[in-house]
Amino acid sequence: MLNIEHLTVKYGVIPAVMDVSLRVEKGQIVTILGANGAGKTTTLKAIMGVLRPAGGRIYYQGMEVTAVSPVQRVRQGIALVPEGRGIFNRLTVEENLLLGAYCRPKNDAVKKDLEEVYTLFPRLAERKKQVAGTLSGGEQQMLALGRGLMSKPKLLLLDEPSLGLAPLIVRELYALITKIREQGVTILLVEQSAAVALGVADYAYVLESGNLKLSGKPEELKSLEDVKRIYLGG
Amino acid sequence: MFSWSYFLQQSMNGVILGCIYALLALGMTVVYGILRLINFAHGALITIGAFFVYFIFFRAGINLAASLFLVLGFGGLMGLLLDAVAYRKLRGGPEVALLITSLGFYTFVENFMKMVVSPQPYAFKTPASLAVMYRTSLLTFRSIDIFIIVSSLLIMLAFNLFVKRTRMGIAMRATAENLEVARFMGIEVNRVISLAFVLGSAIAAFTGFLWGAKYGQISYDMGFLTGVKAFVAVVVGGVGSIPGAMVGGFVLGLAEILSTAFLPTRFAEYRDGIVFGILILVLLLRPAGLMGVKEEVRV
Amino acid sequence: MRKRIPTEWYFLLWGVLLFLGVFLANQFLNRYLLYILVLMGIYSIATVSLNLTNGYAGLFSLGHAAFMAIGAYTSTLLTFPLSLREAYELPMLPTFLGGPDAVWPFFPALCMGGLLASLAALLIGAPVLRLRGHYLSVASLGFVVIITTFAKTMKSITRGPMGISAIPSYTNIYWTYLWLFITVYVVWRLVNSRFGRAIMALREDETAAQVLGIYPMKYKLFSFVVGAFFAGVAGGLYAHFTKAIRPFEFSFFLTFQIVVMLILGGMGTIGGPIVGAVSLLALRYVLKPLEEHFKIYGLIEIIYAVLLIVVMLFKPEGLVGRRKDTRRVLLGGKSHG
Repeated sequence: MLNIEHLTVKYGVIPAVMDVSLRVEKGQIVTILGANGAGKTTTLKAIMGVLRPAGGRIYYQGMEVTAVSPVQRVRQGIALVPEGRGIFNRLTVEENLLLGAYCRPKNDAVKKDLEEVYTLFPRLAERKKQVAGTLSGGEQQMLALGRGLMSKPKLLLLDEPSLGLAPLIVRELYALITKIREQGVTILLVEQSAAVALGVADYAYVLESGNLKLSGKPEELKSLEDVKRIYLGG
Repeated sequence: MFSWSYFLQQSMNGVILGCIYALLALGMTVVYGILRLINFAHGALITIGAFFVYFIFFRAGINLAASLFLVLGFGGLMGLLLDAVAYRKLRGGPEVALLITSLGFYTFVENFMKMVVSPQPYAFKTPASLAVMYRTSLLTFRSIDIFIIVSSLLIMLAFNLFVKRTRMGIAMRATAENLEVARFMGIEVNRVISLAFVLGSAIAAFTGFLWGAKYGQISYDMGFLTGVKAFVAVVVGGVGSIPGAMVGGFVLGLAEILSTAFLPTRFAEYRDGIVFGILILVLLLRPAGLMGVKEEVRV
Repeated sequence: MRKRIPTEWYFLLWGVLLFLGVFLANQFLNRYLLYILVLMGIYSIATVSLNLTNGYAGLFSLGHAAFMAIGAYTSTLLTFPLSLREAYELPMLPTFLGGPDAVWPFFPALCMGGLLASLAALLIGAPVLRLRGHYLSVASLGFVVIITTFAKTMKSITRGPMGISAIPSYTNIYWTYLWLFITVYVVWRLVNSRFGRAIMALREDETAAQVLGIYPMKYKLFSFVVGAFFAGVAGGLYAHFTKAIRPFEFSFFLTFQIVVMLILGGMGTIGGPIVGAVSLLALRYVLKPLEEHFKIYGLIEIIYAVLLIVVMLFKPEGLVGRRKDTRRVLLGGKSHG
């Protein structure tokens, strides 16, 4: 479904991602691991179209999308749940969710999907009219996730969903992520915390300082000393 | 010498001035929210709107209702132009750069009006339909006063419905809060910004008419202080809050009128100074304003 | 490898050349040209002092006109001839300033004007300089309004909107360029010292500077106050040159002109502001006859505004400014995370 070849992204003259290639097959959960500053978020932004690559190509569903605008990519089914949730604190829960469906043509399916999201996240349903900034960290993450789902994505990009959340909530979250995959959504998951991500992923890539260091199935990576080294106990 | 009648009369004047500030603050706060731009050129639109109506209504004889619709359109167009020509290039730059450039634009428009139209003020006769005088035991007012209050409330209501109920409006609030994430949602940020400029400028131009009709005089420099005071209203109400902008407008209008009405007469000329004194006080003591969201006002 | 900082001798040489230049100008140029030269000098002082606050310290103040106003009114009131005081309804000097029979000489009066402006800067600076970026600008703009409001209303001291005229005409080309020399020297010394490095460090990254032990407020305040001092002096020189001052002359537009001069000339160097001031004044006086002939009032201001916009959009470092010094303030040279 997603194929990235030799991606290079720079901030001005500073390279953040260099010659990174990866694939995500339909229906998989693939994870990108790496320490802070490794280039994970940058990669996601490039996939989203918000950052223009200095080199390399991005293919989605077989077609090249390297130059396609974010709006178009959202319409074609890519959605991003940003780092730190990225919810709109001053808008209500419902307004946030509705914004997820911004790019969809106006029809009733949106209302139906809204109901489905509320079913998936009952706590959000309880707080429909509440201002998003007053939600707890876990609830905000669910809101961000729900919002991502509202665009009916085929490929969901998650940027560090477990950041700042208690282990119990993280477990709940990941159960939901698995459920979402079961509903047919392909997931590309970025995490600093390797253990949790490797627990759900079908395949993993490890970035270090903008370069692709390792890749492989979770079982292979878990044992590698390198992984332990890069994470310092992640 | 306190008399209820005087107090009510001045309060009404304060509310009317407040309506004008609230309308202006509305336009400014949306643009500020998205771009972090203190748009001094907003004041220029007041002048443009006033003179536009002057020429098409008084000189060209177009009827009032049509003139008002036209000024809204013209103002929107001017706002669009401003965005496209200048601000687009500076987007993402430091706030000071945006501010200075907007000052440049303001100065350009002000002096353009001075040069092309007139360095002398023009008398703006209140249109006959709006000059009807009403006398009650407590208050004396004209229909223009009612018109200002009613039209302001209608505009504010329409604006609020827009940002709360329409998809585009919610997108605008989202973009004002977090531009990058709004992009992630696939929102075309440039379009949202242009829309913000168009709406704010249209309203500002309309305000020019209100000002002229109420105060009877328009001049090339009428927009500067009013425009800056609108920003004071935004700060007082709370930067980043749309209801705050409106509340701030009313608070400022009332404060300005009532302070000059009730302080000893020699203080009347301190009017502008008082407004800026309020600005400095708010920035220092309660930077978030009355209803605002925490923004880093201090270093 | 740093460039060698010019030494004091270099400065002395410039001083001598300047004196010679001024002497020759005075001998050979006609009154009109001399008039323009003096104005260039005065505005240069204002712009160079603004550069200290806005350019080097990165504090974008729009309040300069207020300090010029304070300096102008102060030195006027101190030097106003006794015989005219009653006619103009101006107060006599209180005893602590020399008593009712006193009239101050020019130089001390100018210094006093500068000092009072500095005092105002100190008072207003403490709260206002804590504000960020454009909030500082708007607040300082408010300060200009507040000062002009006072000038208009404290009629017993300032004669209100009518202003004061018949101010003794002390300013001439020698005084002006002497003060310009002093201003440039002081700014140059400050900038090329530990102080200068500190404020530039603060400008670039305040947090990092604090970590290095540089207390922001102390340094910001100092540059603000010194800038205000010379603005006050410029105001005083202006008053004694045009012989009449009114509150509306010290409005926002005056600040605007100086800001345009600063940005056009370039914020990062000592010479930039002077280049800006000289160019814009030259432009003004070239265009003035056009304006009067065709009765197109406002042309000069429009051109100033257009120049500002063009510079901001295409060459923010100005004519001779250095990109790296303009970066933080006007270009926002933040590194990406």
